Amino acid sequence: MTAVPALDVADVTKTFGGRRPLRANDGVSLTVPEGAVVGLLGHNGAGKTTLVNQVAGLLLPDSGSLRVVGHDVVAHPERSRREISVQAQANVPITGLTPRTAIELVGRIRGGSRRDVARRTDGLIEALDLGQWASTPAHKVSGGVARLTAFAMTAVVPGRLVILDEPTNDVDPVRRRLLWTQIKALADDGAGVLLVTHNVREAEHAVDDLVILDRGRVIAHGTVAELTHPLRSTLQLDVDLPPGRAVAWPPCASETGHDGLRARASVPAARAAEAVAWAQDAVDRGDLDRYSVTPASLEDVYVELVGAAGETSTHAPVPAGHDADPTEGTLR
Amino acid sequence: MTTVLQQYGLLTQWQLRRQSVYLPLLVVVQGALAVGTVLGFGILMGDLEGDAALYLATGAPTITLIVIGLVMAPQMLAQAKTEGSAQWLMTLPVPRLVFLAADLTVWTLVALPGTVLAVFVGVLRYDISLDVSWWVLPAALLVSLTAAAIGYTVAALLPPSLAMLFTQLVVFVILLFSPVSVPAEQFPSWLASVHAVLPIEPMAQLVRAGLAGSTFTIETGPLLVLVAWCAGCVALAGAALRRRG
Repeated sequence: MTAVPALDVADVTKTFGGRRPLRANDGVSLTVPEGAVVGLLGHNGAGKTTLVNQVAGLLLPDSGSLRVVGHDVVAHPERSRREISVQAQANVPITGLTPRTAIELVGRIRGGSRRDVARRTDGLIEALDLGQWASTPAHKVSGGVARLTAFAMTAVVPGRLVILDEPTNDVDPVRRRLLWTQIKALADDGAGVLLVTHNVREAEHAVDDLVILDRGRVIAHGTVAELTHPLRSTLQLDVDLPPGRAVAWPPCASETGHDGLRARASVPAARAAEAVAWAQDAVDRGDLDRYSVTPASLEDVYVELVGAAGETSTHAPVPAGHDADPTEGTLR
Repeated sequence: MTTVLQQYGLLTQWQLRRQSVYLPLLVVVQGALAVGTVLGFGILMGDLEGDAALYLATGAPTITLIVIGLVMAPQMLAQAKTEGSAQWLMTLPVPRLVFLAADLTVWTLVALPGTVLAVFVGVLRYDISLDVSWWVLPAALLVSLTAAAIGYTVAALLPPSLAMLFTQLVVFVILLFSPVSVPAEQFPSWLASVHAVLPIEPMAQLVRAGLAGSTFTIETGPLLVLVAWCAGCVALAGAALRRRG
């Protein structure tokens, strides 16, 4: 593909000074094509927001390059900002305004004509089911409505690159679905969407591509299918234990986690019947309260990757089919 | 395509509406402060008459203008930094100095009624007559723009709490140790010579000349000092706002 990507980050490193310098981004490379939703996943402190602030031209990288629709962010931050719209991680306070006025004002500041902005604002308010609060003073609306308003402020006149930092926080389950539809719609209309989140479960169903960041480094990237590929022949067996009972796993299961009265093991798909028979038997005997068998999810992959990176603190496995990070080496 | 001027108007609207809950109160407090300055200095200095009274009454608006620029406008930036909206606002495709212009406009509007009121109170209280020139408005804007540029630079570079401390200190110095309400001759000579290169005395002279042109004038030298300060500080504020960590 020869099209210029909405965002092209190449080998970006950013260290914050101080007595114990912190390398917030360490050789990060990623691409957000136009028309795609790319999820940026990572724990708190993984370096996600630092990266976003560099893309928005608020921070300077120590090295590496950031290009927004081909424009060099480091050299021309004001030019690049015209192509970017950002929903910040923290809600932008809009006390004194109503959701509708806030959305419209931002749309017009971003260069939309009065009529287009009014029409688009109406559309977003309807699509996100915000009508009830659209004209309510902002200090009287809930956190979820404020979050959706912040999204609408970002989407009213979207840039060719849209950055959404935890857009679903505080949003109720019903409106979350509406929100995901709108996020997809932004990409369908041609924008590149960088979705920053630590909510692995939600991201799994909403993104085209994923980049997993851990301690400032990209430890895996690819589609959900590619990332879960190594675990495709593995199932997860979850069991709830009665108080005071220990779990005696069958030979086909290997424990992956134990947390109070819940335990988790992985089971080869081929031996699923054996595991189910064991679990049902254990329930009948009263050794287990209940159990479930599910396919391995992105969350399992994520926990495995991030856990591995955390434990070894040297380098993390990169799923099959992907190039190893050329800058791979020591963390920190 | 929205022009910079339109963006300025929209951002001013944004900031005005964000303050709308407190706006009436702010206007009243600004008015009280401005009138208080005129009356308060009168009490401190005893019975004032003639030129001394005129000096005081025409100095008070300058103090208000400096306070708006130096304290109030950057306070919005400091507040936005504290509540976390500054960083998001900075992601908008808006030239950096437009933020300064919008905040300055909001506070000028807030302070204008009080400033005008203070001049009238001075006229009545001290029984003086003014001779107002048309250019007093742009002059007032030059004064508050210079002050706002200084305040904004400080607010952009320092953490919010330190920035507020700094601007409060500066206001204290301006109120008590600057030739705004009293002539420079009353200060020690070293302080008077320091004020020859600082923008405060030219600010006061300019506003004074605009309000009472038949009694006071401003010479080219101080005016150039003020213009130089204004240009330098606006450039500095722009650089501070564009700075990336």
